[in-house]
Amino acid sequence: MLGEWKTEWMKVRRRKIALVPAAFLLFTFLWLSWAVRSSHMESEEDSWMWLLMCLGLVNTILIPAMSAMLASRLCDAELKGNTLKLLCTMEEKGRLFDMKLLTGASYMGVYVAAELVMMAAFGRMHNFAGGITLRQLVCFLLQSGLVSMGVLLLQMLLSLFSANQILPLAVGLAGSFLGLFSWFIRLPFWRAVVWAYYNLLGYIGQNWDESSRIVSYYEVPLDRWALITLLAALPAGYILGRQLFIHRTPGCG
Amino acid sequence: MEYIVETRGLTKQYGDKEVVKDVDLKVPKSCVYGFMGPNGAGKSTTLKMLLGLIHISAGQVTIGGERVNRKNRIAILKGTGSLIESPSYYGHLTGRENLEIVQTLKRVPEKEIDQVLKLVRMEEQQNKKVREYSLGMKQRLGLAEALLGSPSLLILDEPTNGLDPAGIQEIRELIRELPRRMGMTVLVSSHLLGEMDQMADYVGIINHGQLIFQDKLEALHEHSRDNLRLCVMNQTAALHILKREGIPCVLKESALELPRLENDAAAQLIGRLCEGGAGVYRAEEKLKSLEEIFLSLTGRRGSL
Repeated sequence: MLGEWKTEWMKVRRRKIALVPAAFLLFTFLWLSWAVRSSHMESEEDSWMWLLMCLGLVNTILIPAMSAMLASRLCDAELKGNTLKLLCTMEEKGRLFDMKLLTGASYMGVYVAAELVMMAAFGRMHNFAGGITLRQLVCFLLQSGLVSMGVLLLQMLLSLFSANQILPLAVGLAGSFLGLFSWFIRLPFWRAVVWAYYNLLGYIGQNWDESSRIVSYYEVPLDRWALITLLAALPAGYILGRQLFIHRTPGCG
Repeated sequence: MEYIVETRGLTKQYGDKEVVKDVDLKVPKSCVYGFMGPNGAGKSTTLKMLLGLIHISAGQVTIGGERVNRKNRIAILKGTGSLIESPSYYGHLTGRENLEIVQTLKRVPEKEIDQVLKLVRMEEQQNKKVREYSLGMKQRLGLAEALLGSPSLLILDEPTNGLDPAGIQEIRELIRELPRRMGMTVLVSSHLLGEMDQMADYVGIINHGQLIFQDKLEALHEHSRDNLRLCVMNQTAALHILKREGIPCVLKESALELPRLENDAAAQLIGRLCEGGAGVYRAEEKLKSLEEIFLSLTGRRGSL
């Protein structure tokens, strides 16, 4: 298994894939730096909640697009070079799928971890009072980590099965918009849309006082049904995707 | 005889259409087995089924005496190398880096990379990115990937595709030498019959998904029953006589081609043609070319 894992990293040599999440992280930082100037918070204690909420919204917009680019960069080399028919004579198809997914998940995991580091640095730079609580940390990981893994799984499947990578990239961009709409428009079918889970798993609420133009933030309970649905959908999506890859391996038919 | 590859009732069905039907392939050890057939006959599908790249609708595959199933497929295929349809490569990596990936997956020593690079004469291009390679070089790289690990069975699907004449000759010679030099069995598909004539010890011919011939190459040549070729001064008279005698003939390149006749019958016929004023000035035996045998096999399956 180590050999297979090693080859996944050998394959991405010189593809500069790490630049994709690095660029998105930089963009997120710049966005937050711009947003913090125009924010009107009621108290200094709200700073962290503002940051967490803001980051949740920025992730809704940026992570689907980033996942699409990441998945495309990881998968298109296999399709362009017709490598799957060679790899599948040396490696179990299911394991190949797992390794590919694990590589993508590694990038995503590092990205979410880097966001946490960036958040801490951002708070320090702007002298935010206090810090984030354990609950907030867990909720952030569920919102940004778990949902992003679901989005990445979808994008990896699309990229693996699309000879033309325009389609998965278009889906990724559409996902960004759908996710963003879910923050502002209440619709019953959002639970069936993976990108809407950034909002459905939101854990910070806000009150906006129109007269003073001051916003106050508060914690809201996590939507347990949304969490349960996502926790059930993720392994189901993984198993279905894996089976699909095993039985309909692209380029082998 | 010991077979390295044996299939029984191998069938592939897409919906209602059977693209490979009941194929019983028998590939003897340490030989070059030419798998021939016209385009779309089912060659690649059969080879992909051997490698487990596509699901088998019915039948079974045995490689090296072991029946291949989902559990042991990869373990059995460790002893094989393959190049199916087009070469597989990562264009952004160098030839050597591509081979390193295969070497890691096959778990073979790194020094073998140098050996296969030498074998396919690619030492000088090994550090060039593969996207800069010509099709011929990509094909050589594909062959080098297949040769890594010194497999006992090499499955090659149209390996000379895209190569220039010198490259084709080189690859043919290499394939020809592999059984002798390394004890490998090479199962190679092609639709180029002349190529098989130069490489193969055994041949299998597939047409419309069915294996219609399988034996030694010499046995295939035995199918080339000679024709009798007559050059006459008066074709009208000759045709009239042949029709009267009930002997079928075709006019080819201003000569008459007749089926092979026994010596007595041939002597009698020539006598009658001369008496009838046909003016026979040349009588010769004509051997069928491999192309003609192939066409007769694939075109008239019922006669086999």
